[in-house]
Amino acid sequence: MWNKSAEAKPSSQPNETAVPVIPAPAADTQPASSILVPSSAPQNSVQVNPITPSSTSVTTIAAGLKISGDISGTTDLYIDGETQGKVRLPNARVTVGPNGRVQADIEAREIMIEGTVLGNLKAGERLHLGTASRVQGSILTPRFAIEDGARLRGKVEMVRTGNSRLNSSPVTAVEVEKAKAMSASGKDE
Amino acid sequence: MSWQAKPRLTATPVSDARPKPAPSAVAATSANVRVSNGLKEFLWLLSDSKQGRILDLGQVSQATLTFFIEKGFRVSTEDLLRAWKEFLVAEEENFRKAPVGNQAAEVSPTLFADKFLETAIQYPAEHFHGVLAWDIFDYLDAQLLPKVMDRLYAILQPGGAVLSLFHSRTPERFSRYRISDPQTIELLPASTLSVHARVFQNREILDIFGKFRSSKTFVGRDQVREGLFLK
Repeated sequence: MWNKSAEAKPSSQPNETAVPVIPAPAADTQPASSILVPSSAPQNSVQVNPITPSSTSVTTIAAGLKISGDISGTTDLYIDGETQGKVRLPNARVTVGPNGRVQADIEAREIMIEGTVLGNLKAGERLHLGTASRVQGSILTPRFAIEDGARLRGKVEMVRTGNSRLNSSPVTAVEVEKAKAMSASGKDE
Repeated sequence: MSWQAKPRLTATPVSDARPKPAPSAVAATSANVRVSNGLKEFLWLLSDSKQGRILDLGQVSQATLTFFIEKGFRVSTEDLLRAWKEFLVAEEENFRKAPVGNQAAEVSPTLFADKFLETAIQYPAEHFHGVLAWDIFDYLDAQLLPKVMDRLYAILQPGGAVLSLFHSRTPERFSRYRISDPQTIELLPASTLSVHARVFQNREILDIFGKFRSSKTFVGRDQVREGLFLK
């Protein structure tokens, strides 16, 4: 019932009150960062620094670069250029800078968008759309922050950490009580 | 078709335990916040829907998204006015670049509307339980408006609802909207995205929603009419 759910409604800001800062790709503070190939490179998959993963390492695709092909790996990625191909960094952060343009799906632990993305976004932990961001595609994330001015055309779904969709399997209080009762009585369905 | 209080079409028995929202006595607490009985009724209608789907045709807002997602809804957003503006700018640019006498560059408002809807509001039939249209109908071109209405009707489920606002006079400024709580809409001043096209009379509103089976309006102290239309 509507009013009942309002009582139990958690905060309207889902654990995401602080606006994350989009990291600027400062070369002197990122010893492990590397610049990827220019647009003339062959259209194959690009592995992002898989040998020396580091929490401080950031790979940068600078403005003016264009990459065609899938990107996967373990280091954080800052895209300020243009990419066409899936970006899959499930244990890292992907940031699309203000000049960045991605025409493919992105899957990462954290996704920060300040530029343009034409594709679906799947974040393992959180997703942030900055004020200048433009996204066309579906969003799947456990937490998100959307600044005023962001443009989104697509569907938004929240998932619990561990990838069970909130919207697909909402657990009601009744179901919890039922499960507890069944557990206590030793029944199993 | 009378304007006020039509028979409810949703399968809601009279003995339903859910308390029907009563119109609030408070009209508006400040210039940027308005108490919305239309929203309250909209939410009440949607409360029957498990994992309902909502389409928000305004600017994406975290508050609105969170509001519905926390209640188990799936939300799609499409900023229709911005998309329309960007489409017109792109078409104008194409027209400017086209060689003189190019038949392909022929323009007409109806042609524009058809072309725009080839990419806008593209969803399966009867997909949504509710549509938040805000005040976009006040801003749409006369040729585009009926086509948008047809599309919205097609993507709504039977019994689905459209919540829309209609200004009773030309608004002083362009605003976007977001939901603060189940009965409050917040107005966000924004740079003018589109020129206010017209002030609808009640009869005109009924005409453009002619396909819908039921309607209800609420008038706030700010003279903004909230319309709730059921398919």
